[in-house]
Amino acid sequence: MTEPKDPAARVSSLAELPRDIRPPRDLWPQIAARLDTARASSPLAAPPSARRPPRLQWLAAAAMVASVAVGVWIGRSVLPSGVPGPVRTATTNSSAAPAAALVDAAFVTDPRYQRQRAALLQSLQAQLATMPPETRTKVLASLATIEKAKQDLEGALGKDPGNALLQELLVNTYQDEMRVLTDVHEAGGAGQGT
Amino acid sequence: MRIVYRWVTMAALALSSVAAYASADFEKTVPAQARGTVEISNVAGEIQVSGWDRPEVSVRGDLGAGVERVEVTSEGNRTLIKVVLPSMAFHNGSADLKVQIPRDSELDISAVSAEVRVANVQGVQRLNTVSGDITSELVAPEGEFKTVSGGVRLRGHGVTARLHVSTVSGDVHIEHAAGDLEVGTVSGTLRLQLDTASSVRAHSTSGDVSFEGQLGHGANFEATTVSGDLSVRARSDGFRYEVSSFTGDINSCFDVSAERTSKYAPGKTLQGSRGDGAGYLRLKTMSGDIEVCDRK
Repeated sequence: MTEPKDPAARVSSLAELPRDIRPPRDLWPQIAARLDTARASSPLAAPPSARRPPRLQWLAAAAMVASVAVGVWIGRSVLPSGVPGPVRTATTNSSAAPAAALVDAAFVTDPRYQRQRAALLQSLQAQLATMPPETRTKVLASLATIEKAKQDLEGALGKDPGNALLQELLVNTYQDEMRVLTDVHEAGGAGQGT
Repeated sequence: MRIVYRWVTMAALALSSVAAYASADFEKTVPAQARGTVEISNVAGEIQVSGWDRPEVSVRGDLGAGVERVEVTSEGNRTLIKVVLPSMAFHNGSADLKVQIPRDSELDISAVSAEVRVANVQGVQRLNTVSGDITSELVAPEGEFKTVSGGVRLRGHGVTARLHVSTVSGDVHIEHAAGDLEVGTVSGTLRLQLDTASSVRAHSTSGDVSFEGQLGHGANFEATTVSGDLSVRARSDGFRYEVSSFTGDINSCFDVSAERTSKYAPGKTLQGSRGDGAGYLRLKTMSGDIEVCDRK
């Protein structure tokens, strides 16, 4: 530890300044004494078993299990099953209802992108309903292809996060998804003025 | 006998009215500017457009069941051709249209399942369908061809143009084009043949991409897929190249082998330069195979 020099002395470079300054007295014994006093008076200082009666512990555990069970029940039976679910093979499913579930990933977090994507997904079902059934099937199959590509790329990136090739292809795939959603949106309205 | 005669007459009248509703011919010609814009919309059936030297637009149509009328209007430099369906018969009427327009017109077509064919139109073309196929002759300086599930087939004569093509699941087949090309699909196949390309950007998610042609001096070529294969035969004075695949194979005629990008993860890359190195060629895929060569 370097002793401070005379403060009145003129300093011409940083090297002349002390690297650290010793306090005028040792503060640690006083701090340690205060900590000991505080620990002794806190309920947290007691061992866990002494803090809470055993019956309360069982009640707390039961409540936790119950809340997890309710959560699982809500997740499985109340929420839509496809969100966020695995990729579906939509090639034969002409119903537009699960269309939004085909594109459920949300890797890109930009709020404007998210807003636009959400709006397009919301109108997807209505737009698909205006299309010929064969086209509808092909669009759903293409969205499933995109979703699978995203999952494959994200899976590969999970193993090799710094891979620039995969990052670029993933961005391309997200752009493709937006293009398809936009195209479907435009195409759905194509015949409406006719 | 009189009763029988009455029944026969009534049946004949009923049949003739059904026939009149089921199908009708249509013909109309309106004046148009030589470099105006022609807009055509039709839900189903066919739209055939060809350019001619007259300053007028001629429309001949075979209107199927469910078509109410065809509107043909011309105002200023804009001619509008619209197949109108009854309000309750959404997307159920089919019409086959044969349209002749001034050769230098700009052409905008919007169709749902109607097939679109265009020939000899030298103005900008913007052709959009949902499920109908698009076939066009490339003589315009600029074209935008967009379909969801329909295919796109373009045939040029080596005339330089700026082309933008996109499909969702439809295949794209381009022959004898030249200039700048940007083409994308999700699951369709891209088969591209350009006489001279100054810039090519091709992207597919799962569809295969193949290119054959001449790259102009200093041209940029970029093709990417996620799982589709890439096959490129690009003749050129020279280019720098960067070819990468994460899990697919890379083959080339460049007498160099692809190298692994990492000791611990999959991935191969091939980089180098050919000829004068003025152009730039980038091929990238995740799981597709790549084949590249600068010879025929």
